[in-house]
Amino acid sequence: MTKKMFLLVALVLLASTMAFAQTPGAAANPAGQWVPISAGFGMAIASGLCGLAQAKAVASSAEGMARNPGAAGAIRFALLLGLVLIESLALYTLVIIILGTGGRPWIP
Amino acid sequence: MHEPELWITKIFNDYLAGAGNAALQLVGMKPEARPWANYVVVELLVALFIVVLFAILRQRLCWDKPGKLQHTFEVVYEFLRGQSEEQVGHNGPHHIAFFGTLFIFILFMNLVGIIPAFESPTMTPAVPLGCAVATFLYYNIMGVKTNGLGKYLAHFAGPMPLLAPLMIPIEFISHLARPLSLTVRLYANMFAGEQVTMVFLGLTYFLVPVVFMGLHMFVSLLQAYIFMLLAMMYVAGAVAHEH
Repeated sequence: MTKKMFLLVALVLLASTMAFAQTPGAAANPAGQWVPISAGFGMAIASGLCGLAQAKAVASSAEGMARNPGAAGAIRFALLLGLVLIESLALYTLVIIILGTGGRPWIP
Repeated sequence: MHEPELWITKIFNDYLAGAGNAALQLVGMKPEARPWANYVVVELLVALFIVVLFAILRQRLCWDKPGKLQHTFEVVYEFLRGQSEEQVGHNGPHHIAFFGTLFIFILFMNLVGIIPAFESPTMTPAVPLGCAVATFLYYNIMGVKTNGLGKYLAHFAGPMPLLAPLMIPIEFISHLARPLSLTVRLYANMFAGEQVTMVFLGLTYFLVPVVFMGLHMFVSLLQAYIFMLLAMMYVAGAVAHEH
């Protein structure tokens, strides 16, 4: 039991040394190292919410087309318009990432 | 992020640098060593291609024995006319010149990027901005022409004069957001489509990028259609008569 605790504490101490490691360029621009991480999180959140919204749009339009096949043309038009407008919201986030990171978000 | 030159841009910069610098000086900018940018050259090429295509079509228009080209463009024209009548109303086909140009120009500019040695001009923010500013000016000018300047500005105030102090800033900002959203939508879709294809080209060198190029072609068509559709909706909102 004591040996296990000792092993666990040793592992935690070893793992904590990673908190002190920084990317080599961090001395020049200490805030810049967070840009790729926040870009990744921001884009993931935007894409996730966009996916949810588009799923809702597609689901209700498919149900509408199933209930009323005669109106399928009008429903398809509304569906496409809605999908494109929702997509463009996720793309605004992408544009901010591109503008904020000079075109290559994986380089801090 | 300086893009490398395409082969046609290299030809333009080697032989026509003088013409490029003259155009730059016309708008008050300083002359540069290699004035032609990729997107300017490809835009001009696409415009030239469209002019030549329609010149050939004009020659081959025939009333009793229509050829394949005429059939294709009849389908396109019927589509444009149907859409503009549906969106703008009875006077819609009056504006087909602008909507049709927008649709065909943006469609060809988007699709030219798929050909290996060329690059979509709509991949740079400048080109969609130009189309969006043209649309903004067009629908405002059409609104003023149809309704008169006073009545056009008065409809910014909303349905009741009591709501005017609230409605005017909201309408103003939403009208300014229209060219911004048109630009960003087209630019981001084209840029992201190309980047995704490039990333997958780097990851899996074979067949998988073709799937993304196919998706990019579909998105190109859809984005050109959406740009035209939104332009139609803005014109419809501007020229609407309150009976």
